Amino acid sequence: MKKFLAIVKREYLQNVRTKTFVISTIIGPLLMLGFSVLPGLLFGLKTGGATQIAVVDQTERMYESVRAAVMRPDEEDETGLPAQTPGSSPAGAAREAFSVQYEIEETPVRGRPLEEIKRELSARVRQKELDAYLILPPDILQDGKPEFYGRNLGDLITIGQLERRLNRAVREQRMKDSNIDAEQVRALTREVEMLRCKPGERCDAEASSEGNFFLAIGVASFIVIAILMYGQLILSAVVEEKTTRLAEVLFSSVRPFTLMAGKLIGISLVAMTQYGIWAVLFVAFALYGVAAAAASGFNLSLPSVPPSMLIYALLYFIIGFSLYATIFALIGAMVTTEKEAGQITVPLSMLLAVAIYLAFPVIRGPNSAYAFWVSMIPFFSPVTMLVRIVTETPPFWQIALSLLIGVATIALMVWLTARIYRVGMLMYGKRASIPEMLRWVRQS
Amino acid sequence: MSEQSITLSVEQVSKSFDEFVAVSDLSLMVRRGRIFGLIGPNGAGKTTTIRMIVGITAPDAGRIKLFGQLLTPELRDRIGYLPEERGLYKRMKVGEQLRFLGVLKGMDARAADESAGHWLERLKLEEWRDKKTDELSKGMQQKIQFIATVLHDPELLILDEVFSGLDPVNAELMTGILLELKDRDKTIIFSTHMMEQAEKLCDDICLINRSRKVLDGSLREVKRSFGRRTVVLRAENFDGGLQNSPLVAGVKSYGDHDEALLREGADAQELLKELIAGGARITRFEETELSLHDIFLRKVGEAA
Repeated sequence: MKKFLAIVKREYLQNVRTKTFVISTIIGPLLMLGFSVLPGLLFGLKTGGATQIAVVDQTERMYESVRAAVMRPDEEDETGLPAQTPGSSPAGAAREAFSVQYEIEETPVRGRPLEEIKRELSARVRQKELDAYLILPPDILQDGKPEFYGRNLGDLITIGQLERRLNRAVREQRMKDSNIDAEQVRALTREVEMLRCKPGERCDAEASSEGNFFLAIGVASFIVIAILMYGQLILSAVVEEKTTRLAEVLFSSVRPFTLMAGKLIGISLVAMTQYGIWAVLFVAFALYGVAAAAASGFNLSLPSVPPSMLIYALLYFIIGFSLYATIFALIGAMVTTEKEAGQITVPLSMLLAVAIYLAFPVIRGPNSAYAFWVSMIPFFSPVTMLVRIVTETPPFWQIALSLLIGVATIALMVWLTARIYRVGMLMYGKRASIPEMLRWVRQS
Repeated sequence: MSEQSITLSVEQVSKSFDEFVAVSDLSLMVRRGRIFGLIGPNGAGKTTTIRMIVGITAPDAGRIKLFGQLLTPELRDRIGYLPEERGLYKRMKVGEQLRFLGVLKGMDARAADESAGHWLERLKLEEWRDKKTDELSKGMQQKIQFIATVLHDPELLILDEVFSGLDPVNAELMTGILLELKDRDKTIIFSTHMMEQAEKLCDDICLINRSRKVLDGSLREVKRSFGRRTVVLRAENFDGGLQNSPLVAGVKSYGDHDEALLREGADAQELLKELIAGGARITRFEETELSLHDIFLRKVGEAA
């Protein structure tokens, strides 16, 4: 036991003290933040100030209402619903915060031919006095199509927003012309929001949030990322002892099983440390984010997660991680160099990707036979069963069975790996073939 | 021999890997406080034998008894093993590394530190204690590895090619340490194919070749049992005299001198008379026992 703890401690300290660990702990969340929020932010970020648009109003009476509609923020969209539902994606909130500013001016027609006005405005666009101009045809209220001439037709956000707001102005004008009260129409055509709830559970806007689903996918990708990152670490730790011939010294002091188990647990603790730090940071950040959003008037709410869900997520995280970690240790004992190991670990990583793909049909039919079988396979269950639990919690015996199969598989893999470890770690020079390994298992 | 004085006994041990027989029906007896040389050509089965003694692999048949008991994991803490393939954690500091390896042998961390300090001083490496292992030269790493082997003051030391990679100064230092350990009643099993080293250090030897024991016993007995003697000779004016003599079985000519292996029962004095009668001027004539080197070559050569 003392020896086992010494191995765990060494493995842990050696890995936690490295620069790689410190740097990845700091950079990890930044990268995650970067990949999830930054593209939205950047896309929504309109650089270079307000968009300057000239409007040529051939109807000679639409300009004011178009201008008003364009300048009015999207808080009420043409559907009559608030444009942003509370708790929607951070990218959406960010886009709103960075929404486009407009400066609108009218170019009076005054009987001049349209071609001449277009020429004049095009020249101004070229000289960068204007970003774009908009031509409202005389029959816009019937079926005339307005024309947008812009320097940059790739700015989909601005153009889409403009089109939406122009639509609103035109529709309201039509109603007004038909003596219909736009306000009243808006009130009457307001859409209904359907709450998504589970039978026997509280049902309100908050409970219906889709947070759980994101939690399942989040935990699944956490497992995948953790396995890929730390699997590599386990692999190189094992290969190091093999290439430096340390295994022989170590095996004269401890059993191969003790060595292997100590290594796996040591590195799992490293993973937990890193994930723990990230979790604390994430919760702190999320709380701060919600508080900050509330302070600036946004009504964000954290998705509420039942504790049972968290426990299942943790259980499947542990099972998935241990299973794949053992496989990585096995590969490490089989190969002679890390490079060689790469050829085997790539297909293994693919298996993880497969697990995520398999989860999508499960979302559609969480209680189908397909979902049942897929969530019983231990290599996939950390993802698939988690998705099932979230979408339509299966009977408890199924969860218990899949956990049991997971634990049994891990036990089997550990047993197998320990046997192969003893022989494999003392084999130098060439990679072991599958028949060879089967012999080792029988021999040792 | 009493049970007490026997550190290790290997009884009719065999080990095969698939078709390949690595060790077959091997029996050894290693006495306490002696240096035991396990010699043999590459691939003879030395490393497999050692691995079985250390408990890394299990024999297919036969028994191994250590300190009079069948091998158990606890007993392994009383062995210090220096494998032929050397290895240390590259990115670990020397001191931490030794502490870790000491704890794996059942020591307390503090005792391991103390012992490591003592040995680092002894091998003049104390200023390297806080350096990472891969900053050390090969020879220094070799010495660190030796420290890891003796750190826990084992009663039985198993050293596989302990001198390889050491310069003469360090080889001398190592020899001194081994003899001192022997004086302290430690048992040392010493595996090598460097016969000069074995001849200098070993009290007992066992020669194995192609998985089988070829001969064993105390070095003196082995040499005596061989009986045959060689004559080292430097002389002028005797061309052909040696080769043609009925007393001589074979001759090797070196630049400086010739070496003649005498036939069974031949007397060196007779050869000397013969040569002088033949008109040779003798400047050197020395009768010696067969060197371990020669015994090795003869025994291994015979089998080939």
